[in-house]
Amino acid sequence: MIGTIRRVVVALDAVSENRATIDAAARLAARWKSRLHGVFIEDDELLRLAVLPFARQVTLGFGAETLTVVAAERQLRAYAERSRSQLAAAARGHGVEWSFETVRGTAGSVSVATSDFLVAGTSTRPIGGHFRVECRWWSVVEPSPASFLLAHRETRAQGAVVCVLRSRGPASERALDAAAQLADNDGGRLTVICPPELAAEPGFTDWLSQRLAGHAIRTEVELLPAEPTAQIRHIVELDCRLVTIESDADQALPGRLREIVARVSCDVLVVR
Amino acid sequence: MADRGPEAFTSGEPLSPALLRRRCAPEELPFALSSELADAPAQLGQERAAEAVEFALRMRQKGYNVYALGPPGTGRHQLVEDLLRRRAAAESTPPDLCYVNNFADPQKPRRLDLPAGQGAGLAAAMKKLIDELRIALPAAFERDEYRARREVVEQQFKGHNEEAFGGLQKSAEAKGITLIRTPMGLALAPQRDGKVMQREDFDALPEDERKRIETDLAAAQTELETIMRQVPQWEREHREAARELNRETTGFAVASLIGETRAGYGDLPDVLEYLDAVERDIKENVDDFLPPSAPASPQGQQAEGPPAATPSEGPAAEMRFRRYQVNVIVDNGGRQGAPVVYEDNPTYQNLVGRVEHLARFGALITDFNLILAGALHRANGGYLILDAERLIAGTFGWQGLKRALQSGEIRIESLEQALAVASTVTLQPEPIALDVKVVLVGSPTLYYLLSQHDEDFASLFKIAADFNDRVARSGDATLLYARVIATIVRREHLRAFDRDAVARVIEQSARLAGDSERLSTSMRSTIELLQEADQLAADAGKEVVGVAEVEGAIDAKIRRGDRIYRRMQEEIGRRTIRIETDGAEIGQINGLSVISLGDLAFGNPTRITAQVRMGRGEVVDIEREVQLGGPLHSKGVLILTGFLGGRFGQTRPLSLHASLVFEQSYGGVDGDSASAAELFALLSALSEVPIRQCFAVTGSVDQHGVIQAIGGANEKIEGFFDICRAGGLTGRQGVIIPASNVKHLMLRADVVAAAEAGQFQVIPMATIDQGLELLTGVPIDTINQKIAARLDDFAAKAAALARAVAGGPP
Repeated sequence: MIGTIRRVVVALDAVSENRATIDAAARLAARWKSRLHGVFIEDDELLRLAVLPFARQVTLGFGAETLTVVAAERQLRAYAERSRSQLAAAARGHGVEWSFETVRGTAGSVSVATSDFLVAGTSTRPIGGHFRVECRWWSVVEPSPASFLLAHRETRAQGAVVCVLRSRGPASERALDAAAQLADNDGGRLTVICPPELAAEPGFTDWLSQRLAGHAIRTEVELLPAEPTAQIRHIVELDCRLVTIESDADQALPGRLREIVARVSCDVLVVR
Repeated sequence: MADRGPEAFTSGEPLSPALLRRRCAPEELPFALSSELADAPAQLGQERAAEAVEFALRMRQKGYNVYALGPPGTGRHQLVEDLLRRRAAAESTPPDLCYVNNFADPQKPRRLDLPAGQGAGLAAAMKKLIDELRIALPAAFERDEYRARREVVEQQFKGHNEEAFGGLQKSAEAKGITLIRTPMGLALAPQRDGKVMQREDFDALPEDERKRIETDLAAAQTELETIMRQVPQWEREHREAARELNRETTGFAVASLIGETRAGYGDLPDVLEYLDAVERDIKENVDDFLPPSAPASPQGQQAEGPPAATPSEGPAAEMRFRRYQVNVIVDNGGRQGAPVVYEDNPTYQNLVGRVEHLARFGALITDFNLILAGALHRANGGYLILDAERLIAGTFGWQGLKRALQSGEIRIESLEQALAVASTVTLQPEPIALDVKVVLVGSPTLYYLLSQHDEDFASLFKIAADFNDRVARSGDATLLYARVIATIVRREHLRAFDRDAVARVIEQSARLAGDSERLSTSMRSTIELLQEADQLAADAGKEVVGVAEVEGAIDAKIRRGDRIYRRMQEEIGRRTIRIETDGAEIGQINGLSVISLGDLAFGNPTRITAQVRMGRGEVVDIEREVQLGGPLHSKGVLILTGFLGGRFGQTRPLSLHASLVFEQSYGGVDGDSASAAELFALLSALSEVPIRQCFAVTGSVDQHGVIQAIGGANEKIEGFFDICRAGGLTGRQGVIIPASNVKHLMLRADVVAAAEAGQFQVIPMATIDQGLELLTGVPIDTINQKIAARLDDFAAKAAALARAVAGGPP
């Protein structure tokens, strides 16, 4: 198990796809009977830009226009209010308690404790349907002491839950438990992917059966290719709705995580 | 017929029993059972009407519709329907009428005419097509081929964006400028240490450095604006490319399936045109066919116009696919020849059709599938029969019919639209050309009213088919009538009637006509008699209906309806109502009237009395004075007054005051059939010669004293006969009738039997004088002298009185 989750903290700002992120966070808060807490970041960088004499923004609707501090603050407040309303509605819908705060700073200003669970979106809103600037939340999720979910902008209700295992250590056990729990929620499928050496370890199958006992799920075990690019391609090609990854066994995780998130079209759960 | 003319009897003398009822001799009927007779070729006595209908059917010009007028029960419906069906059978079957969606304007559904029987086929073909597309199209969008092509489209436009924005981002970063996302769009900012440069840091830069940054920023800004201006165009191109791919994918899947459907309708351009429109619509709305799990746009994209995730099952989906259905409003499949339609409830909507509505989430919605045909649609290309009275009484049916006939097309509109009182938007189905012959069946009264008061009627119903209610009782007609009976017996699945029974039915027909020389054409009464006689035969376990059953059915019908008649007879027997049938009275006579009770009529004797005194020549009709007398009765009284003046007022003033009354009459009195009886009572009162009460009299009189025919002679005679028989027949009793009514006599068998036994008599009279002699037994000259003397006395006394009043000598 991930452990007792005190709060599900959802990171929000004015440029991300917030709705799917809030919905994913509310669902998890309801499952774990935790409090849902929204943190809206008023982007310091934007306000810093607005102070500059030549600050201008270009929009599809109005073209180039001067960006003033007053206008930037007004826009940020409007987005904060919208996010608060969406959070409240989602919390009501899932029957969880909620709170909301606005913090001026950078993405890293989101404060997360070990007993929290962080949810952040992977996409910014597009310009012209395609172009998106990079996700803002890496600076908070990568150093986060808590487990976190990177929510895809489109919720997938179907498909298996995939759990990528590296070992049979405590982190792997937590990841497997979390994946089984979330798969069990819908009576669905769990696909466990692990290196061939792990699968070949004596007692692995028993260990796996033991960990998954009590979950009404169908489990498949697949072997992870040795080559890193092939590993990611293998995960991407799976018909899944959630990818669960243990973080502390993989030294190269940050870079690989970004690549996985960029290529899969589902949520990614990282278990600390 | 010569044996029943004036030469066959002598006025003033009792009629021979043979003249009281003209029998139909069974031995003259050339069959033993009705089943031996062939069907009647046409309806009895309706040659004129049939000719009119057939003429109208030959006329194809506008307005040659028919009004079949005649009394109920004369077989108007049957004759009209027989003629129409005979003609319709030889005519071509009209096409099926369908409504389909108008994809260009759904508010105006399109009409499709298909050869008879093909409408349902097209509807089934369309259902099959859509069912198959609901499987084939999702499959087409699930194929790897589509996914790959879609990926290409997405990548192409994604690449376009990334190339532009990425290139800008890269060149800007090389100059220390970063591209940042603002809540509304994008902005460019100088950066230091990976962060947006602070204002203080910027201000601290050397002048030339600040200028360089501003110049670089301006250039990047210009480039960004250029890219952003292009974005909408890229979006449009992307959407169009995606749509085109969807269209191609859909088109390929649709083409083969709809091609199969087209193959069956190669000779019907309208259907092919419709199928083209269907194909176009499916290509434009392919998302309706795809399930929620349809291939999403390639990952990472929010593409415009890919197959959308809309439910393709359930009520919502069914509602969307309704637009591809075919609403066959008239299916002529299986019909041979043109249609003959009878609409028994000709309201506006039942005639011109209607558009129904469905309740959906509190709103009423409709589409072309809810168009319902009216009788005009069903009869189009053929014939429509309507009841005129129901049409006129129905809600705006007459107006709707006239409008359709005048315009030559059926336009389905709600009543509110037709009356221009509704402003709601609803369907306007394409009108249908009208080619129908309408036959209205109604009463003569309504025909004449419409002719006089409806200016459109004459131009729309140019042919009147006038139905006879009786036919001359010749030998041929009698035989034809027997065949009509045989036809009805067969059609109604009744037992065969033997010859005696058929003869009795024919006699009853003459009785219904109230004329021994005529037969009634009221088939309704005859059918009822045949059915009831058949039931009595069934009750008796007989295989063949005999005369006893016919007699029994006639008697039973009378018995069912004669309660009030019997009650009156009973009260006369108990002397509550005074009717004398013996002795003699001055100024009192038995008159006869007829009471109609439903479809039965009974004779009712009434005591008429007269009183005279000195006066100024007035004859007072007491019934009129109390407003119980009708105009015809008053006319009769004035005529007899004229007779009095003509006969007795030539040489003296009529210084009398006379009053006439129907004693113990408490209802209205009308008709002039009692005028002779009233005159007899008046002359008796004047002459003081008593009238024999064993007689009852009926007949009207003219100013010259000639007796004229009246109606209901049979019922009147039987009414007085029943009274006399109840009190005991004396042999002196009888009824004096106009000589001109002898030919109408079809009296009951018991009356004829009494006459044969010398117990009752029916005596014809031609004049007042003849009748008066019969009634008083006194020669007319004697009576006239007594009247003249009485009037002279009145005149002398009146003159004396006038002189006394004026003060002269008495």
